[in-house]
Amino acid sequence: MKLFRYNKTAILAMVSIVLISCASDDQPGESQLDFTQPVKTQLDTWITSNYLTPYNINVQYKWNQNTVDNSRYLFPPTTDKVLPALEIVQQIWLKSYSTVGGADFVKKIAPREIVLVGGVNLNSVGTRTLGIAEGGQRVTLFETDYIDKSNRANVSEFIHTIQHEYIHILNQNKPFDEKAWAVITPVGYTADWYNFDIPESNEIGFITSYARSNINEDFAETASMILIYSKAEYATFLNGIQSPFAYQALKTKEALVVKYFKEAFNMDFYALRDEAEKNTSAVINN
Amino acid sequence: MKLKNIFKYLIAGILILYLNACSNATEADQLFEQTPTERLNARKTELKDALLSSEFGWKAVYFTDNTVLGGYTHLFKFAPDGTVQMASDFDGDTAVYKSEYEIQLGSTVSVTFTTKNRIHLLSDSDSYPIAALESEGYKGDFQFLYYGQENGDIVFRTNRTVKELRFVKATAADWADLPKNLIMEQNVIGGASRPLFRLLETNDGSTKHQFDFTYTTPTRYAEANSIEAGYTVSYDMGIGFTPTGIVVSPAVEVGGQKLTNFVYNDVDGSFTATGTGGVTAVIKYTDKPLLLTDDYKMLLPGQPLAWFGFYADDYTVDAPTNSPLFYAELAKINAALPAGQEISSIQIYTNHSLGTFIYYTFVGRAALFHFVDVVEDAPGKKVILKHKSWSNATTAAFVTSLDKYLTDPNGIYLKRESFRLFYSEPVYTFTSSSSPFRMTTWKLN
Repeated sequence: MKLFRYNKTAILAMVSIVLISCASDDQPGESQLDFTQPVKTQLDTWITSNYLTPYNINVQYKWNQNTVDNSRYLFPPTTDKVLPALEIVQQIWLKSYSTVGGADFVKKIAPREIVLVGGVNLNSVGTRTLGIAEGGQRVTLFETDYIDKSNRANVSEFIHTIQHEYIHILNQNKPFDEKAWAVITPVGYTADWYNFDIPESNEIGFITSYARSNINEDFAETASMILIYSKAEYATFLNGIQSPFAYQALKTKEALVVKYFKEAFNMDFYALRDEAEKNTSAVINN
Repeated sequence: MKLKNIFKYLIAGILILYLNACSNATEADQLFEQTPTERLNARKTELKDALLSSEFGWKAVYFTDNTVLGGYTHLFKFAPDGTVQMASDFDGDTAVYKSEYEIQLGSTVSVTFTTKNRIHLLSDSDSYPIAALESEGYKGDFQFLYYGQENGDIVFRTNRTVKELRFVKATAADWADLPKNLIMEQNVIGGASRPLFRLLETNDGSTKHQFDFTYTTPTRYAEANSIEAGYTVSYDMGIGFTPTGIVVSPAVEVGGQKLTNFVYNDVDGSFTATGTGGVTAVIKYTDKPLLLTDDYKMLLPGQPLAWFGFYADDYTVDAPTNSPLFYAELAKINAALPAGQEISSIQIYTNHSLGTFIYYTFVGRAALFHFVDVVEDAPGKKVILKHKSWSNATTAAFVTSLDKYLTDPNGIYLKRESFRLFYSEPVYTFTSSSSPFRMTTWKLN
């Protein structure tokens, strides 16, 4: 039993060495990382109280290379242009959805970050990318330097971008009925959609030419275009369609969009459209 | 060995390991005195202090890509509150604007201009100087990685292309004189009264070489190709403007010396860079083309039909080879024509079944023929288009001012250019031999 006693002593010694060995080391001090917050401008405060606090959405307008595509030649917005852009987004998009979908709707399903880019994102084929939605989390909006609140077409295009990207965000959260959608106009989809005029695309059942790039874009374009049209404008648009097949296709797509909003989010799409129309007029008239 | 002993030694061994494990002797060498975080923080502070240290801020002549574009001078004055005042000679607006900047951590510590100002004009995908740069703008960056300081300059590298960019201490005069850069730009472009041809002449102290020099205004870029047979050196350079001359990148290397600063002489419109030991490089005007070609021969009688066309609403109108005098004469014709009418093309047909003629077409007006004879000037390697008759005297009155350059009694040069204007048709220029008049055409047959 001698051996056993030695073992006990040895283990005791080891344990005590482990316990006291690091006792004299330096304790961690203050962090070396710089946690000082940058000086908040009036604009930053506005963003906090109008986006961050009510909707939990961060707005990034200052350049950060990690949130943009570095292979593109883009630039950050002019500071003066940030507030008008955000006001439009707030009024037409956030308010419309909050009114119709309930105050918490956008809080739950919204991009967590909106990135504003001042310049045009021009593609090598000559098309412009107006917005990007990524992973249901971030929306990037381009061309904020060119916003003119007094010009309805200009505001519409900008709002079209955010409505379009938000539909993507919604789809990225709850998918739409892709099977039903894919059979409506199966042959019209093409990679070189930009070579077609919009009226030409309308006549084969697409609301815009961009809708022809794939069914996800088609869904987003259909929903967002209906949202930026007023009820009367949309009716005029439909009445102008010559081809009965195209008319039927557009109506079927519209019905699918309405169904998607009802089933996925229990939301009345037409009420949303009317709310958006009201808010758009409010922005332009102010 | 007995099992008991094995245990004993084992325990002894483990004990030794334990006792040694907590020894204070760290054998690994410390490469740096401080931790990475401390070093980054120190670097940030160093850059921030440097940016704020200059009384009149900093000046940078930014050559975004010296294989296609020239230099754009920017002046910066940084403030501790994160704002920066900036001016540039990118366009006619040399006023000072305020925006924000940040010291950010990229692949290393960097300064980033975070909201829009003048420097962002270089990075606008929708504003590009030539079609080849579509969606790339002027290829500019506005995030610069900090690489230290040298002789009072702050040395950066651009974020995207990792090219060196130096911030040099600016002076009060730099701010006041910035608009003078644009006057210098006009001197580089060359006024309507200056001759059309330019050459770069290098002198390494003993031998001189001449290079055909052409400057492209939208890109601020110049090409200089040797005209000597068997000597195939060429200098391509981006050009930046200063109040007194130009600065070029890459440098013109003569006799082992790198020349970058050229001084303007208003008397003859030349730019001279001087090195040591008699080394110089001069960009100067000359009255006739450095390199005469035999292209004119296709215009001579007995040759097959040749058809050249300049079109006012097509790529020919944007050709860099059109001279200011040519544009001025076009504008003169349009100003004289009645409202709603304008010139649409100038075509030259030689050895056509109808004869040889200059053919003017208009919007809202019948076309006009100017029949001519072609006379050869073999030693001068040019032709004279000699007047014969007009098809309509009234219309002719509108174009005679321009026409007199094409029918220059001293002759015109014809030259096949090496570039294309979008389409595959070869580009030819007609140049008056006694005035700075040059028209760019496609050869259409």
